[in-house]
Amino acid sequence: MMRRISPNHDRLQSLSGTWRDINGMPSLMSIPGDEQTAAHLGIADLSFLTRFGVKGAGAAAWLESRDLEVPDRPNTWRSLPDGGIIARLGLTEFLIEDSLHSSFALRLAEACQHVPDRVYPVLRQDAAIVLCGTAIPDLLQQTCSVHFQSFSLNDHPVILTLIVGVSVTIIPIAPDRYRIWCDGTFGAYLWETLATIVQELGGGVVGADRLI
Amino acid sequence: MPFRLLKFALSKDHPEPRMFRQPDRLKSSYDAVIIGGGGHGLAAAYYLARDHDMKNIAVLEKGYIGGGNTGRNTTIIRSNYLTPEGVKFYDESVRLWQDLSQDFDLNLFYSNRGHFTLAHTDASLRTMRWRAEVNKHFGIDSELVDPAEVQKACPMMDMTCGGHAPILGALYHAPGSIARHDAVAWGYGRGADLRGVEIHQQTEVLGIQIESDRVTGIETSHGTISTPRVLCAVAGSTPRILDLVGLRSPIYIHPLQAMVSEPMKPWLDPIIVSGSLHVYVSQTARGELVMGASLDPYELHSTRSTLDFAEGLAAHMLELFPFLSHVKVVRQWAGMADMTPDFAPIMGKTSIEGFYLDSGWGTWGFKATPVCGKTMAYTVAHDRNHDLIEDFSLSRFENYELVGEKGAASVGH
Amino acid sequence: MKLMTCPVNGARSISEFVCAGEVRPIPDPNTTNDLAWGAFVFHCNGAAGIKQEWWCHTPSDTWFIAERNTQTDEILRTYLWGEVA
Ligand SMILES: Cc1cc2nc3c(=O)[nH]c(=O)nc-3n(C[C@H](O)[C@H](O)[C@H](O)COP(=O)(O)OP(=O)(O)OC[C@H]3O[C@@H](n4cnc5c(N)ncnc54)[C@H](O)[C@@H]3O)c2cc1C
Repeated sequence: MMRRISPNHDRLQSLSGTWRDINGMPSLMSIPGDEQTAAHLGIADLSFLTRFGVKGAGAAAWLESRDLEVPDRPNTWRSLPDGGIIARLGLTEFLIEDSLHSSFALRLAEACQHVPDRVYPVLRQDAAIVLCGTAIPDLLQQTCSVHFQSFSLNDHPVILTLIVGVSVTIIPIAPDRYRIWCDGTFGAYLWETLATIVQELGGGVVGADRLI
Repeated sequence: MPFRLLKFALSKDHPEPRMFRQPDRLKSSYDAVIIGGGGHGLAAAYYLARDHDMKNIAVLEKGYIGGGNTGRNTTIIRSNYLTPEGVKFYDESVRLWQDLSQDFDLNLFYSNRGHFTLAHTDASLRTMRWRAEVNKHFGIDSELVDPAEVQKACPMMDMTCGGHAPILGALYHAPGSIARHDAVAWGYGRGADLRGVEIHQQTEVLGIQIESDRVTGIETSHGTISTPRVLCAVAGSTPRILDLVGLRSPIYIHPLQAMVSEPMKPWLDPIIVSGSLHVYVSQTARGELVMGASLDPYELHSTRSTLDFAEGLAAHMLELFPFLSHVKVVRQWAGMADMTPDFAPIMGKTSIEGFYLDSGWGTWGFKATPVCGKTMAYTVAHDRNHDLIEDFSLSRFENYELVGEKGAASVGH
Repeated sequence: MKLMTCPVNGARSISEFVCAGEVRPIPDPNTTNDLAWGAFVFHCNGAAGIKQEWWCHTPSDTWFIAERNTQTDEILRTYLWGEVA
């Protein structure tokens, strides 16, 4: 399998905890004592999950023809059969992220060798982050201008916005669990800035084990 | 309390003569009319009267003298520009500045400080090396200096900018200076007034009369006057005036904001500019820090201030000078900057005979006030573009002959 | 904080958007002359007023049109190209 390195790797590698290779990427699975941290405010790296992006006027129909149920409204998401995520970004773009138990991304990437007109694959080399804990609003209020409390999580909202000046996609999965994706080249900056504020708020970095 | 003051407080007469007369009505005709009582318009009036013996002139100002960008700017004066056209022009201006105080018999508080443009990346260091070479070629005092030199001139600066934008060097321009902007407008105003020029405040130009591509008169909020020559020096209002005469230009208006801190003991002698951090700052004789950043991001014909600006600028200031974190901001304001695609001005004759433009000065025209006045006076008096402004005509856009000053002007002022 | 409403993403801080200038017709590059092309490339309608402008919501790359008063900064409406809002 191809070896992958997380965009956040530099900021994580010095942390001692349990590391494991997932999908070819060294991943921090747990840190001693991160259970309490996670309940208050934690930040973890999920870049190791596999992802696939596609856009274009024909993208929705093409995904449906591959037996995927796509979210019918822009900026919403739904769960994949085995726990992954399919998010509709705007009108005609999609992000698919596998769980540890599915492989949609791989299969779609293969199918992409021959795509119909108006279907364009999008290279996804995201830095993928998850925030957890009850103090998430304190963190987001300092870093982002979106009023997250105004969304109803039952609508499965996907929010494209800026956090500390970086373009991000955000999904509030639950009040105490938010997913964030950004372009990998901004990963280290976003990670470091958020991790610093998380620490100021009494939280810290946590392993991915409990969050996937 | 001095008795003099007490005496004036009790007397009905104004203690000092006003800086200039307040003519109470417009004449029916003038040899030339200047729209805009900012530094540029008043300087042109002054040089027309002084050097070209044209005295039957009116300056029309819709608000009050110097109430436009002249009274809102951050007063940086320098000549280390990037193109040969620009360098020659601004250098002449810096020379003219030096002896204005004497010319006017008025203290302009012209203060020579030295001007550092910081480089935080290899790319900007490269541009600065180029600028230094162009400058030196024209005999202008401009050189690249290393971080140690910068630190020596400004010991209070965090040379790493919090670790993420270390200063790699700077372009140093020893003649860089600041001056008192109001005094510049008043000085030119008084000088023009003494030579017979009429300055009409609260007089707005509403229309311009043109007959077969020739200017014949002007409609104002106080009536119509006839005149064969009109100089338009209205900075942020240029597109509106051009609309009146049916000319098209590439000028677009963005607000440019600035702010000042409470006064402090003197600690910052030179003028510091950082393009990457979008900051420039100097300390006035009163001890206030005068700070500015880049243009507001979209077109707007208004002088409103925003919190976004104050917040962003303060954040960048703290990267350079972390010790300022408890210093208060006391004022914030904006001016309307008349921007051009090549960051060079638009000056001289136009396709309408008798209609002259002095515009497109955007965020950097204060330093050019004297030389603009001089060259525009020449241009109006002779109906021929002065050599120094030949390259700045409005027609350069249709002819694809842009000047290309962006690298040196964008945050530099 | 000033807000703008992206037709797809909803109300957001104005800092998430960039303005790309007034919507205006492009002359046919094959038939136009240099003078008209230069005027199109450089000249703009610089006076204040109510204008239709191209804007982009940068985090999502959504291009749309905003009708805005360039004197008061009031955003009167926003809509996608081809949509009559
Ligand atoms: C915040 C800020 C910082 C700046 N910093 C610097 C700097 O550090 N260094 C530098 O060199 N330059 C700087 N500039 C640019 C500089 O201020 C201007 O380029 C320069 O002052 C323009 O002078 P002016 O006389 O042409 O225009 P103005 O001073 O704006 O004068 C134009 C006048 O025309 C009047 N007017 C408009 N319409 C009409 C009408 N219809 N009828 C009658 N009168 C009318 C206006 O009321 C105004 O008083 C800065 C500008 C701003 C806004």
